[in-house]
Amino acid sequence: MTAIAHFVAISCYVGAAALAATPFARPVGAPVRGVVALLAAGVLAHLAGLIAYARVVGQLPLTGLGPSLSFAGLVLAATLLVVELIARDVSLTLVTAPLAAVPTICANLIGFAPGVEMPGARGAWLFAHIALSFVGIAAFGTAAAAGCMYLVERRELKSRRFGAIFRFFPPLATLDRVNHIAAIAGWLGLTLGVVLAVTYSVAYRELSVPKVIWAMGAWLAVSGIALRRIVGGWQARSAAIYSSDSFAAVVAMYVAFRVAETNGGGRFL
Amino acid sequence: MALIVVGVSHHGAPLDVRERLAYQSSEVTGLLDRVRAMADVREAVLLSTCNRTELYVVEGEQAAAPAVWSLYGERLGGDASGVGYVRRDRDAVAHLFRVVAGMDSMVVGEAQIHGQVRDAWEASRSASGAVLNRLFQTALLVGGRVRSETSLGHGATSVSSAAVQLAKKIFGSLVAKRAMVLGAGEMAELALASLQAEGVRAAVVANRTFERAQALAALYGATAVHYEEAWTALADVDVLLCSTASPHVIVTADRVRDGLARRGDRPLCILDIALPRDVDRAVADMDNVFLYDIDDLRAVVSASVERRHRELPAAEQVIGEEVEKYWQWVAGLAAVPVVTQFRDEMNRVRERELAAALRRLGELTPEQRAAVEHFSQSLMNKFLHEPTVRLRAAAANGRGLGVVDAARYLFALDERRAPADETITPPTEDQR
Repeated sequence: MTAIAHFVAISCYVGAAALAATPFARPVGAPVRGVVALLAAGVLAHLAGLIAYARVVGQLPLTGLGPSLSFAGLVLAATLLVVELIARDVSLTLVTAPLAAVPTICANLIGFAPGVEMPGARGAWLFAHIALSFVGIAAFGTAAAAGCMYLVERRELKSRRFGAIFRFFPPLATLDRVNHIAAIAGWLGLTLGVVLAVTYSVAYRELSVPKVIWAMGAWLAVSGIALRRIVGGWQARSAAIYSSDSFAAVVAMYVAFRVAETNGGGRFL
Repeated sequence: MALIVVGVSHHGAPLDVRERLAYQSSEVTGLLDRVRAMADVREAVLLSTCNRTELYVVEGEQAAAPAVWSLYGERLGGDASGVGYVRRDRDAVAHLFRVVAGMDSMVVGEAQIHGQVRDAWEASRSASGAVLNRLFQTALLVGGRVRSETSLGHGATSVSSAAVQLAKKIFGSLVAKRAMVLGAGEMAELALASLQAEGVRAAVVANRTFERAQALAALYGATAVHYEEAWTALADVDVLLCSTASPHVIVTADRVRDGLARRGDRPLCILDIALPRDVDRAVADMDNVFLYDIDDLRAVVSASVERRHRELPAAEQVIGEEVEKYWQWVAGLAAVPVVTQFRDEMNRVRERELAAALRRLGELTPEQRAAVEHFSQSLMNKFLHEPTVRLRAAAANGRGLGVVDAARYLFALDERRAPADETITPPTEDQR
């Protein structure tokens, strides 16, 4: 059931991205309802898959690499769905749906082996930390996707090319606003996630240096955007470049730690 | 019954002919009354815009086109048929559908015609009936369908709408955005009017002739300034519209750089529609500046016009489907009087034969008489039920006219037709 539901979810995410790309093949607007329906179907299937997993193993999909990657994909897709329902614009699907599909595909390839689950209050604490961190990373990913699209469209507008991107990408101001809101949501989620992690480490005398480095890196990156946006009145191009570059750096750092863990037998995420 | 359209349009008629054949809304009723008096016309609707004058007519037994040409000729002072056209039945329906969808317009896909057709239909309501009301109602829906299912109406088709499109791509909504206008020429005014329709506020108007700047500023509630004073305002505006007659560049990189320094990261959209250009090309390389000249605006227009033309086959497919649907309805409508006449005729036969039978039977009690009458009525209903149902069904599924003609021939209905039967009755909900 878990594997089938994941397969359906991945198909829906890829399908939604393909449907959102139809304006590039034919000069008609993207079918908003179709994209949103496919994305919603993907989120539901994904959710059903993770519920099935949780019922089988008796724990939430927050520990273990496969389950947590899948959960990250689900949170990213759900965030995208909410953003698109509010904005009534589906062009963000072009970037974010594949971004949600990739961790879900990785989760399927790696397999759904559960991690060690902590009992009682410790488990709840850990759960809150992981869930909030995932929400923060998903929002950060959305900000990065909006930032990438902003940069692509800006380049088209500056170079006076009036093709499919000019016609079907949302206005620069809209992408900038999505980047702004997502960066602040990402900062809130990651801040709470990091605070819970720090207090957890102190309370239970448990510390993982690679985790701390990665978490602080991600938190500093998203804090940089959010604070400069709020305090420095920073907007548009600078924020777009910074959010997409820093998110890419955070993902690269994650991959590097994962590779190091595999080689050294250490314990990362 | 035949549905025809007789008209002239920008495709064949020169402007002076179209001008003379353009009817004001106050003239519509008079024209429709005259055409109905001159020819066997059951229904009529006049569509008159700057690009076309067309009379949609449901004619009776006699052709109505000569009468319409005669009326056009009278107004034109010559024969209009040489530059006009007559389309009949399905072709007339398809023509109106294309017109409403903007496919027959000078600028393909333009939306204004949709409202013009609705107004024309409203103005002609006194002379339109079931057939034309249904035709125009369907046409307006078809226009909407073509626009939603194809991109025929997408994109800018004029320089001023391209200016709006470009500004919207940068700012999203243009409500409360501020514009500065350099030069107070006609082009600037057109572009400013388009921007203002989207919510842009004209803040500053600068012109070499200060009086002209004042006049334009007063029109748009802006402040008129001299060129030298305009550069300080650059920090506060979102759109800079340049349309001066200056022979050299007046918006230099230095002037813009000074303004940008006080803007933060806010983008500035510069629309340079002057020839020769007013803005230094180096300005385009500045961060947060989006500079477009007249060629860029024309490129936006030609790209969208080209895309609209590429959408015509998809739009034709929609038109084809809708013409068939409408024509099936017309065919169904044609069956109604035949069914009525057929049943009336059979009922007359029944009454005649019943009277003869009752005479032959002699004295009968009222109950016996009622039983015989009931028998005859019931037998007739049983006989007529299947043909009636099949005639209606054939009409509804598009084979109506052939079957209706066959029924007329087989039961000799044409020879017995009463004048009242020719009236087309408005369709009931069932028939729809």
